[in-house]
Amino acid sequence: MSTRAVIDVSELPQHEFDTYDPVWWGNNLLLAIETSMFAILIATYFYLRQNFTLWPPPVAQLTATLRPLPELGYGTANTILLVLGCIPMVLADLSARRDDRRASQIWLVICAICGFVAIVLRGFEFSAVYFRWDSNAYGSVVWFMLGMHMLHLMILTTETVLVAIWVFKREYDMKHRVDIVTVAIYWYWVVAIWLILYAIIYFTPRLG
Amino acid sequence: MSYEEAQQNFSRKKAEKAREERRASRTTIADEELESAMTREREELERSWARPSGLRGWFTDTDHKVIGMRYIKTAFVFFMLGGMEAVLMRIQLARPENHFLSPDQYNQVFTVHGTTMMFLFAVPIMTAMGIYLVPLMVGARDVAFPRLNLFGYFIYLFGGIFLYAGFFLNTGPDAGWFAYVPLSGPAYSPGKRVDIWAQMITFTEISALVGAIVVIGTAFKMRAPGMTLNRIPLFVWAQVVTAFMIIFAMPSVMLASGFLASDRLIDTHFFNPAEGGDTILYQHLFWFFGHPEVYIIFIPALGFISPIIITFARRKIFGHLALVLSLISTAFIGFGLWVHHMFATPIPQMGQSFFSAASMMIAIPSGVQIFCWIATLWGGKLNIKTPLLFVLGFFAIFILGGLTGVMLASVPLDLQIHDTFFVVAHLHYVLIGGSVFPLFGALYYWFPKWTGRMLSEWAGRWNFWLMFIGFNLVFFPMHQLGLNGMPRRVYTYLPETGWGTLNLIASIGALVLGSGVLVFLANVIWARRAGVVAGDNPWAADSLEWSIPSPPPNYNFHNIPMVQGRYPIWQATEDAPVVRGLSSNKREALVTSVMDAQPELRFDIPGPSIWPVMVALGAAAALIPGIFTPWAFLVGAILTGAALVCWFFGDPNYENKTARETGERSESAPRAPELQPKEV
Repeated sequence: MSTRAVIDVSELPQHEFDTYDPVWWGNNLLLAIETSMFAILIATYFYLRQNFTLWPPPVAQLTATLRPLPELGYGTANTILLVLGCIPMVLADLSARRDDRRASQIWLVICAICGFVAIVLRGFEFSAVYFRWDSNAYGSVVWFMLGMHMLHLMILTTETVLVAIWVFKREYDMKHRVDIVTVAIYWYWVVAIWLILYAIIYFTPRLG
Repeated sequence: MSYEEAQQNFSRKKAEKAREERRASRTTIADEELESAMTREREELERSWARPSGLRGWFTDTDHKVIGMRYIKTAFVFFMLGGMEAVLMRIQLARPENHFLSPDQYNQVFTVHGTTMMFLFAVPIMTAMGIYLVPLMVGARDVAFPRLNLFGYFIYLFGGIFLYAGFFLNTGPDAGWFAYVPLSGPAYSPGKRVDIWAQMITFTEISALVGAIVVIGTAFKMRAPGMTLNRIPLFVWAQVVTAFMIIFAMPSVMLASGFLASDRLIDTHFFNPAEGGDTILYQHLFWFFGHPEVYIIFIPALGFISPIIITFARRKIFGHLALVLSLISTAFIGFGLWVHHMFATPIPQMGQSFFSAASMMIAIPSGVQIFCWIATLWGGKLNIKTPLLFVLGFFAIFILGGLTGVMLASVPLDLQIHDTFFVVAHLHYVLIGGSVFPLFGALYYWFPKWTGRMLSEWAGRWNFWLMFIGFNLVFFPMHQLGLNGMPRRVYTYLPETGWGTLNLIASIGALVLGSGVLVFLANVIWARRAGVVAGDNPWAADSLEWSIPSPPPNYNFHNIPMVQGRYPIWQATEDAPVVRGLSSNKREALVTSVMDAQPELRFDIPGPSIWPVMVALGAAAALIPGIFTPWAFLVGAILTGAALVCWFFGDPNYENKTARETGERSESAPRAPELQPKEV
């Protein structure tokens, strides 16, 4: 009786962390798109700067001219919050990897709170920029940068909340543990992009 | 360490050990046993991969073949519309001082023609070929992200309908397909015409980006075991390279059109020089996308040519590695050329010379590929069928276009003929020669796989020669017209210019070219009813899609094949192992490693869902009214978000139904705690 060689895959797992899972690839490719978007946005910022002798442009007051640099307060607070917010996310990530439902729940909730506070602080950050979006090209590009990053903060926070709800209400299965690890990557990315934007928006005008 | 922790620790270690052991194992199976098991499974597979029918199916079906074919058909409809606009322009230009179209109509027609051909035809149809064929070529049961794929189709469809709704209501964009500011800015283009253009860009770019992720995910993670990196078919390589180009190029145009839309809607000043904005910035952003775009259209076409040449020269390709490296280097150099569209702007000469050099350099990888193909054809036994005929036509036309490309790369010549018909001739030679001819070859080549019937060879030859002669009649005289000084985008010209004869020849050519396309349509309609039945592999081709029935079953591959070489069918041996153990009771696919295609996971493929189209509708609710008021974005974002939440939490009815039908417990069904297996 003739036989056929067989590769038996029935014992393979259904989900696995990191590069094993297609979701990891999908998420990272989306982040690659957004990274190139931010890179081009940053290029736009410096391109527009060439058109200004003073950046941000000065404002004539009654007695003197004012150089309206963006105020550091809210932006710095937000930066600290986002960086510290990475800690619960790392812990959520690790708890998902070691299959610890309770810890995942706790850290995800803390992350979601960090996300909400960061969005609120971002609202104040807009007011720390002296110009509105329709004042001049400086105002337009800075508002756009803050806004695009805020959009990601909102998506990220929503995602964290959704995954948290799943972990509370539904099964803590491998599929959704992989999701937690994926959300964590998105967190780290949002924070990393923000560190670059923070340096550019708040400090490059101060350098010269 | 508490008792709970110790217990947790123990179960974790057990899980890790189990994971180590859970690897694909090699066994054997008796032929008869395999036969009977397959007969048993076939019915289950048919049931678990069953497609929803009717209207519900139209909105929810996630089968990559259905979506791909729908993409191809939709893009072809847009191709016909764009072609009709081209004919309108040629009628208008057939003689001097013609009044067939008004100047305003002419502006709309050429803008919508360019926009349609680039954004609604060329990019989508190339992605569509990948969506249909990549899973079949890599031996997968579906794409990696089927629902995302469905979303991509609808967002593309809505964008196309939006543009044409505007056009038919006499609100078609009229500032050219690249909509330069300041002409397209709020000061010089009041009304909503340019807004429609800018928003349509957003729609089609989202769809292209989504398609790119689907293609990369599938090509990286869903390949059949044995299809290692150096055995990936050239078609798949081309699709992957294109997808990466889309990822890095498209965000640029989304920013450009986003800035433009916000300049027009909420008075930002990105492109307003009075407030520190910059008009040249728009050109940089547009062409940083726009030039890679040319390669996004062209590289998939290179991917059609290789398999066609392999099949009809009946031999392995010459220089597989060189061809792959050429694709990749074309993609890299393609990002360093954008400024050659802007030689007529005040760019420093030093900078211009770099871009000039890069523009000439890109001829090198193109040349390498063409020589590899010629070498393959040289040593092969040629079987000249319509697909190969179109590829040979590609050689003639594309090389001419490439030569004028090298001419245009030189700054002084470019300045002289900038914005003349010479450029129009060049771009049509590269795009139609480089993409549309291979595309038609590909349509003839894969039609039997899609439908199970062959297109007529006789009509195919008529189709080819009408298109080939017609094409050269339209566009060759344009070189001369451009050198004579005829600018592009003028609605008419004076008799004294002496441009009448050449324009008349071009217009006659347009009708010949158009009749070639009509022959193709007639051929398709005829072949659907009465074409010769094709069988699995009518061309005796080498790649995996020809190893399954035509048209393919819903689940593509019953047993995932084990790939033995670069030419899986030609190199398959009698005793080649088959992959067993994927469930036939649910939609399950095999996930393999990126480099060596080692089996890694059994992956649940999501089935039909209504939520992708709902998310697309939510996005449309933001973007379409968004040309009138920024508040639309808030409403649209809420709707999109709500649809996404539903997408995430799934459609319990659907899942339960599948579970009932298959008699298997759904994943989310509660289990008794002691029976709950540790997920690893």
